[in-house]
Amino acid sequence: MALTTEDVRKIASLARLRFSPEEERVFTEQLGHIVDYIDQLQRYETGSGETEAAPASPVREAEDQARPCLPREVFLANAPASALGEFLVVPEVKGGGGDE
Amino acid sequence: MSELWELSVEEVGRRVRSREVSAVEVTEAALARTAQVEPLISAYLEVFTEEARRRASGIDLRIAAGEDPGPLAGVPVALKDNLSLAGHRLTCASRILEGYVAPYTGTAVERLLAAGAVILGRTNMDEFAMGSSCENSAFQTTRNPWDLSKVPGGSSGGPAAAVAAGSVPLSFGSDTGGSIRQPAALSGVVGIKPTYGRVSRYGLVAFASSTDQIGPLTRNVRDAALALQVIAGPDPNDATCADRPVENYLARIEEGIAGLKVGVIRDIDVAGLSPASARGWREGLAFLERAGAEILEVSLPSLGAAVAVYYVVAMSEASANLARFDGVRYGRRAPADNLADLYVASRSEGFGPEVKRRIMLGTFALSSGYYEAYYGRARGVLERMRRELDAAFERADLLVTPTSPTSAFGIGERMDDPLAMYLSDIFTAPASLVGLPAFAVPTGLDDDGLPQSLQIMGRMFDEATVFRACRAVEREAAWRVAPAFRGREAG
Repeated sequence: MALTTEDVRKIASLARLRFSPEEERVFTEQLGHIVDYIDQLQRYETGSGETEAAPASPVREAEDQARPCLPREVFLANAPASALGEFLVVPEVKGGGGDE
Repeated sequence: MSELWELSVEEVGRRVRSREVSAVEVTEAALARTAQVEPLISAYLEVFTEEARRRASGIDLRIAAGEDPGPLAGVPVALKDNLSLAGHRLTCASRILEGYVAPYTGTAVERLLAAGAVILGRTNMDEFAMGSSCENSAFQTTRNPWDLSKVPGGSSGGPAAAVAAGSVPLSFGSDTGGSIRQPAALSGVVGIKPTYGRVSRYGLVAFASSTDQIGPLTRNVRDAALALQVIAGPDPNDATCADRPVENYLARIEEGIAGLKVGVIRDIDVAGLSPASARGWREGLAFLERAGAEILEVSLPSLGAAVAVYYVVAMSEASANLARFDGVRYGRRAPADNLADLYVASRSEGFGPEVKRRIMLGTFALSSGYYEAYYGRARGVLERMRRELDAAFERADLLVTPTSPTSAFGIGERMDDPLAMYLSDIFTAPASLVGLPAFAVPTGLDDDGLPQSLQIMGRMFDEATVFRACRAVEREAAWRVAPAFRGREAG
């Protein structure tokens, strides 16, 4: 299936990515080739009805028990911006781009 | 007599514990060797010189005080830069994590430290482990020690090159679709992808959570067994880590494989082996036969779909896992007037082209209208592959394939053709998708002096048998890691 520039823009918006016109052109072509290749899956047989099978080893359920977690100051040390030793700081939330 | 940097993991551990040599001497030898080879190969993003010295002298003090630091006492170890070591930078070779410092140490690394290892540094990789050549690093190009014009393979190219070049006898990488085995093959070292659930991923930056595994790269098979022994086993911090005991991998490793049934996958020609790799492959099979294995043919009709299935599944998971890099909690933040723009700008600036390509494909495969046709279909074919492999393992104890369809390729050769790069994973992807243990073991060199490698897959959690088979191949091949650049090292 061929992808259009419009498709690539739509996917980019879902993925929170932005491309220059030149990048859009290259990605449209490359992603198109890869999707063409992936389309061969339609030729292969599938296992019957187990499309959501679990990975190879079962997941253990953790005990529902409070345990110490990363101290706040350690976590915030990596934050691009924080305030009062307790909060992550972000710019204004409303408005702007995205696909909302 | 071997130089100190040439010693195996086992030998370093033995000599350091018995005080024949000090951990400081071993560390100094590794640092000196690293200084010689690093200008040629660029395997490291950072060498922890002073810390390694301090750590080594601490180990010597403990031994002097009568303590046993563990089986890896004084063993220099390199880590792929997606494994967390508290207080150290961790970048995944990505600009989006520039400046990030790991706030805790992952379980596998914690176990290495508890066994006496000396962490020498963090090594290069394809950005977020996405690639088969190490060229997708945002920071540097790592070169293959056997031929400096070739790639070391990827994504664990730094760990593979460091071991092949003699900088360290042991490194750790992560393998999602072949990222330990393929660079091990191209760089002529042993590479271990354990069973899904054998090693805790706590502290490993996630790429595709249904297949990611941590494993060792070494210059010989016994060292790999010892290294896996140290890091394997249950961990309350990783719910996907299996709650079952770890076998003693060294106990029967020398027993050979006489009478074991080894399945050769009949459908292998689909991958288009290069002539050199086809010859290497036949040699590998001859080693197994000489070791007394019974070779039989098995069928895996879905092998031809492995790359397509793998990329749909892995990219879908990657697009979800990498959503966390948004400029808010850690990593790079781009200037922006509002939150939505902050996400878009930080991600667009911070991620490199291959990561973006994979996030895009994963987002596409999971998007409304395409989910069933792509993700759903890929999971369906995966289940088919699982059944085919189950059936093969009813007849065979082990399955073998070449590890890589080609020898190491030239730097830059595949960078403009992502699909050609993805096809590097044709033989390694099935074991990843299904969760099986799969190891890469060197078998010899092609006419250009480039390493060849056999992939041996086992039943779930049957690492012990795979180790035995790899050891048998290694004995038959009389393999020795000796890259061609010997003598060209600096100083």
